[in-house]
Amino acid sequence: MAVIEVDELCKKYDGRAVLDRVSFSVEEGEVFGILGPNGAGKTTAVECLEGLRRPDSGTVRVLGSDPLEQGRGLRERIGVQLQHTRLPETIKVWEALDLYASFYSGPRDWRELLERWGLVDQRNTRFGKLSGGQKQRLFIALALVGDPEVAFLDELTTGLDPQARRTTWELVKRVRAEGVTVVLVSHFMDEVEELCDRVAVFDRGDIVALDTPAGLIDGVDPEYRMGFRLMDVGASGTSRTSRTSEPEALLGNLPGVATVSRTGDRVELVGRGDFATEVTAALAREHVLVADLRVDSRSLDDAFVALTGHSFQAAENGAGS
Amino acid sequence: MRTLTKLTHVETKLLVREPGAVFSLLIPLFILLAFGGSITEGDTVLLPMAITMAIALVGVYLLPTTLATYREHGILRRLSVTPVRPGNLLVVQILLQFVLTVLAVVLLLVVGTGFLGAGVPSAAAFPVAFALGVASTFAIGLLLAALAPNGRSANGFGVLLFFPMSYLGGLMQPPEYMPDLLAAVGRFTPLGAMRESFHSVWSGGILEPLPLITMAAYAVVLSALAARYFRWE
Repeated sequence: MAVIEVDELCKKYDGRAVLDRVSFSVEEGEVFGILGPNGAGKTTAVECLEGLRRPDSGTVRVLGSDPLEQGRGLRERIGVQLQHTRLPETIKVWEALDLYASFYSGPRDWRELLERWGLVDQRNTRFGKLSGGQKQRLFIALALVGDPEVAFLDELTTGLDPQARRTTWELVKRVRAEGVTVVLVSHFMDEVEELCDRVAVFDRGDIVALDTPAGLIDGVDPEYRMGFRLMDVGASGTSRTSRTSEPEALLGNLPGVATVSRTGDRVELVGRGDFATEVTAALAREHVLVADLRVDSRSLDDAFVALTGHSFQAAENGAGS
Repeated sequence: MRTLTKLTHVETKLLVREPGAVFSLLIPLFILLAFGGSITEGDTVLLPMAITMAIALVGVYLLPTTLATYREHGILRRLSVTPVRPGNLLVVQILLQFVLTVLAVVLLLVVGTGFLGAGVPSAAAFPVAFALGVASTFAIGLLLAALAPNGRSANGFGVLLFFPMSYLGGLMQPPEYMPDLLAAVGRFTPLGAMRESFHSVWSGGILEPLPLITMAAYAVVLSALAARYFRWE
């Protein structure tokens, strides 16, 4: 069942189209990613879903309701973490949770949320004294305190160190496990790859692709690299030295391999599709011993370039925001 | 109702933790005590000045800083995606700052009349001058909150406005010692009108209409402008 349906959504600011006929739907229980560079229209789209912005045209339904016309009832059922919001510096963690719980008719027990989100020791800490990761965990807890059916999380790991990002990701997975549908806005490729069931790729107000992260990568089939070091042949006890001295001849014609290059005992390959598996199988077949085998993962970064014709970085610089 | 009670409770705690709230109570009291030693029995000048200052500190300085900071930090915006209307927070804040003003004024009255021997105000006229004084200065604060881009600039504008307004209003020196022109202009400033009204409350209790009308006009016009320009984000 679709919990969110967006059809032909358009929004202009000062005559510039920020969203140009955007359509997508989000299914119950999934983590739906909205990915794109800054200025791609991600946040505007989500703000239309939250009832914070009025679309110029098109329809938006969240849990069957119009976020603007039926916003009061809808806000009981959604939880939101907004970008760039803070709490009063002197409010204590428990006071914020207790206060926000009082806004909803059927809130969750905030003491349980404190425990679940690892904030028990910060219970009496003032907001201004929390670390970035603790603030972010509190914001997610506040988004969930009303026991929502849908949670909107906007750029939740921006500004966090790698350790805190990992922790936050684990928490989002837990939210999903509890059956809450999650709409995750992000401009981090690795984040949506890790967390999302499906991803809508936004670029300049338009959705350029919508698929599972793996599906997006497969659909684009970007090139990727692998490399290894040839082991000392004599020590291996085999006599197939002719093969290992010319890896180009052995590997160059395997399916998917684009280029093979060798510098001393280091071999680098570039290819597409499943070429890494083909290469390792061929090496095993020919009893070639290698060390330091490394296969770069294919990432959404490459997929983004292929989908939009420009890099993520270039899109961000061009957006000028 | 449960929500409003909780909101009021939490906002009260936050206000108590706010150093600005303590300053609004202590600065006028300090001035009262500093000059209180040299007043004659039944004085009608010092308390009107100190009370006007206390009301102005909350209205022109504390109120706009708090509200503009709430907007700047996205606290009003965050509320608007919950079932609670962000307007509730504004109402609760204004009420709390009003309560703070009452406390500051009661403190001054008790110390001034009880310990320093200042005159006792007319009980009938005092609430009228107080209500219009609060309305006009809070309207200034609301307009500042509406126009200031962030909490720090609201604070800056508040401080910047406070000193010329205090001077023109006769809070720094009595109007008799001010240049005639400035004293005449000062009667039509919010703080000048308020101080003058309180002065009549202490000296006979007959309120002049002109300062009351002046304060009412500021209250109506400035709060209408504030409502016109207020932004939630």
